[in-house]
Amino acid sequence: MSGLHGTRAGVTSAPPSGVLAQAVAAQEDRLSNCVHCGFCLPVCPTYVRLGDEADSPRGRLYLMGAVSEGRIAASSDAFQVHIDRCLGCRACEPVCPSGVEYGTLLEAAREVAGQARASSALTRALLWAMARRWVRRPVFTGGRFLRATGLAAAAASWMPTGALSNARFGLAMLAATKPWRPPPSVDDGNAVVVDRPGGDGERSSVGILVGCVQDGLFGRINQATRRTLEVNGYVTVPVERQDCCGALHAHGGRLQEARRMARANILAFEGAGVDHVAVNAAGCGAAMKEYGTLLEDDLDFAARARSFSARVKDVTELLADRGPLPGAPVPCRIAYDHPCHLLHAQGIRNEPLAVLGAVPRAEVEVVRGADECCGGAGIYAMTHPELGGSIGRDKGEAVLAAGADVACTPNPGCMMQIGAVLRLEGSPVATAHPVEILDESYQRAGLYGRRRS
Amino acid sequence: MIPDALHRDLTTACGPDAVIVDEDRLLVYESDGLTAHRHRPAAVVLPRTTEEVQAVVRAISRAGLPIVPRGAGTGLSGGAVAVRGGVIVGTARMNRILVLDAVNRRALLQPGVINAHLSEAARPHGLYYAPDPSSQTTCTIGGNVAENSGGPHCLKYGVTSRYVRGLSVVLSDGSVVSLGGMGREQDGYDLLGLFVGSEGCFGIATEVEVELLPIPETVRTLLAIFDELESAGQAVSDIIGAGLLPAAMEIIDGETIRAVEDSVFAAGYPTDAEAALVIEFDGPEAGIDDDARRAASLCEETGAREVRLARDEEERLALWKGRKKAFGAMGRIAPDLLVQDATVPRTALPRILAGIQTIGRRYGLTVANVFHAGDGNLHPNILFDRRDAEELARVERASKEIMELCVEAGGTITGEHGVGLDKRDYMPLVYGPDELDALWGVRRSFDPDGLMNPGKVLPDVSTAGTT
Repeated sequence: MSGLHGTRAGVTSAPPSGVLAQAVAAQEDRLSNCVHCGFCLPVCPTYVRLGDEADSPRGRLYLMGAVSEGRIAASSDAFQVHIDRCLGCRACEPVCPSGVEYGTLLEAAREVAGQARASSALTRALLWAMARRWVRRPVFTGGRFLRATGLAAAAASWMPTGALSNARFGLAMLAATKPWRPPPSVDDGNAVVVDRPGGDGERSSVGILVGCVQDGLFGRINQATRRTLEVNGYVTVPVERQDCCGALHAHGGRLQEARRMARANILAFEGAGVDHVAVNAAGCGAAMKEYGTLLEDDLDFAARARSFSARVKDVTELLADRGPLPGAPVPCRIAYDHPCHLLHAQGIRNEPLAVLGAVPRAEVEVVRGADECCGGAGIYAMTHPELGGSIGRDKGEAVLAAGADVACTPNPGCMMQIGAVLRLEGSPVATAHPVEILDESYQRAGLYGRRRS
Repeated sequence: MIPDALHRDLTTACGPDAVIVDEDRLLVYESDGLTAHRHRPAAVVLPRTTEEVQAVVRAISRAGLPIVPRGAGTGLSGGAVAVRGGVIVGTARMNRILVLDAVNRRALLQPGVINAHLSEAARPHGLYYAPDPSSQTTCTIGGNVAENSGGPHCLKYGVTSRYVRGLSVVLSDGSVVSLGGMGREQDGYDLLGLFVGSEGCFGIATEVEVELLPIPETVRTLLAIFDELESAGQAVSDIIGAGLLPAAMEIIDGETIRAVEDSVFAAGYPTDAEAALVIEFDGPEAGIDDDARRAASLCEETGAREVRLARDEEERLALWKGRKKAFGAMGRIAPDLLVQDATVPRTALPRILAGIQTIGRRYGLTVANVFHAGDGNLHPNILFDRRDAEELARVERASKEIMELCVEAGGTITGEHGVGLDKRDYMPLVYGPDELDALWGVRRSFDPDGLMNPGKVLPDVSTAGTT
């Protein structure tokens, strides 16, 4: 026999790296689901570009296993570099026949990696600020000022590439949060006026996650969310004392902080007693649908987290569930791109298209390669400028190939990434969330001016 | 660890980002799709062109180290594992379709092109690439050439060797040779035929010319459900016996059905069944419904409790997805699995299937079968947990007994996964010493110094002296 053993895992010399390995080791059952079949390789944006198996989901799971078995240290370059280089797009999950919960494992691995070695100052500063309302409020106010005055856009176009390219990209992202102004409809004069559904049938109540970035830079999307949901028969209820969803922290391995925010949100939304929690940012929705897993070891919160997660819905799910009601024409060409955390993490493919489908004369084309990450992935474009830049440029090309007026994607991170890439390419194509376009359509239909209820 | 001079040469040839020497990083290359074998390479290099492969092979060969070709690392015989150390030459970056010549139905590919990507690229021209191993969404053409891969549809369409028309190959001394190729009918010996299926022991294919086929006019896919695995085996034998030629006939047993139905690729197989038989006919519209009806009634005669025809393309794809992702879905039942790959005469299928179940029971192991029944190509998957050393020992014994059972019935030790590392020691079950010597002779004529993928396919023979 050539032997089944080879170098047996788990019985080699190095002892497990103590406490650090425990978080990964605690996930051992999740890890052992991987049979190494390799079906995840061709959908992984980093593997496709680099060709190194350590940059594939299978390879990263193998490194996690190696840390948990004590074969390599959590502080090793191999573990640190390749776990950090993952976009967290989770394209590997829907193609995995074994159902490996990669996203959950990645968060555990990031926690272990972060305890073994400090992450970059940029990452730390960002996560620190996002976790504190008193910090992020003035930061976003400053951001809106730079955006409104055109300073962000101007600086992004003046600044040289090279040493300052990170700052330049950041400013371009900020400039890209500017609202899109759709061209007026030529037949506005005889615009169809649509009636809101009258009867009061079953009107379920919805609390909207206001979010951090969304609240700071995309207040208009939150308003459009509220208005479009109401038109479609939902009763929106304001939810006080809600917090940032904690997705960025969980993805960065700051699980304690993410759990604190999760608990705050569960309390806030429970207090409001709503049927649904509407989320208009794919990343936040994915995280909140997984509070059940995040808090699975929290005796007080585990069950509540599961029932909370069951109530979380992307806004496009809620709208598509009601049709949604069609509005007035908004003639434009839309390039739609799937956010990874909507498509891969939540399995939502058709609902945003149904939302856009309710806008007459909006022509929608799904971007070529829409299943692949745009490279946004939080602040990936800045922490990994080279690789993130290459992924972003590929997405930019695909969006431009669709020949659209506006790139539409229901996630703020993706909107900023795609918007920044297009802006730096000198393209006038703007970005928008699908509910913004539906909102415009309802506006034109007079649905907001003739309230009956 | 590799010598500094070699490290320098590899870096010069392909650039620093293409050379991996960090011991920890190399861990991810210690296994392929069969995790039971683990051997860490001394280095990995990721060239992009034939010239880079040539430079890399020359350098490794100068250092006298083993050269181990690797595609996507999805193989199931340990073929892409550096069992004797040395350098893995990975083809992941050689992933370009160089020419797609629709008129001549040919494509020229780098070896790292993914099998399914070729068919996708050919589809707008009404063409496709026929061999469809279950890992086709991820496995590479180079790996298919090395393993002479089959797939469900090879029952009618044949395996990789039938479609490879030309190769550029880098031999272990760094020379580049062309075998076959466009407009060059082969004179003399069929070296191309010899190379396909050589499992990385003869050289590294750096360009592959393949033939494409027109997409069949129409397809009918049937699903027959059985309460006994043996009856499904009998149905397969009867269908071929009746002179029908389905494009594919696949059996998925009860254990596998339950794993698949629990996964995201649930195909709608009833979970209380002991076997699902997927039968596919393709070709011209004329006569295809008659064939499908005849196959359906043969299934009913052998005891199928239900036979249904996929109503639309969506249902057809779901049926196939369940079959093709079955291997990965096993991860839901057990942390590790050893998949066997034996071929037996079709008529022996019912008896062998019963025999495999008996062996599994005797060793207290779960054996899940999912396989290309039409050509008698069995894939018993033995499920285990490698952390349990005692269980591992039982797996080894059961695996060997299954192999012996198949050989005894007139079968052989591999249908399509290759011999690799895993079945090297079974070779004497099917070949005598003289035949093994002859195989060694062929291998040495390609690779006199024994540097190409050593430790694979052929057992070491003490008499293997003369070079």
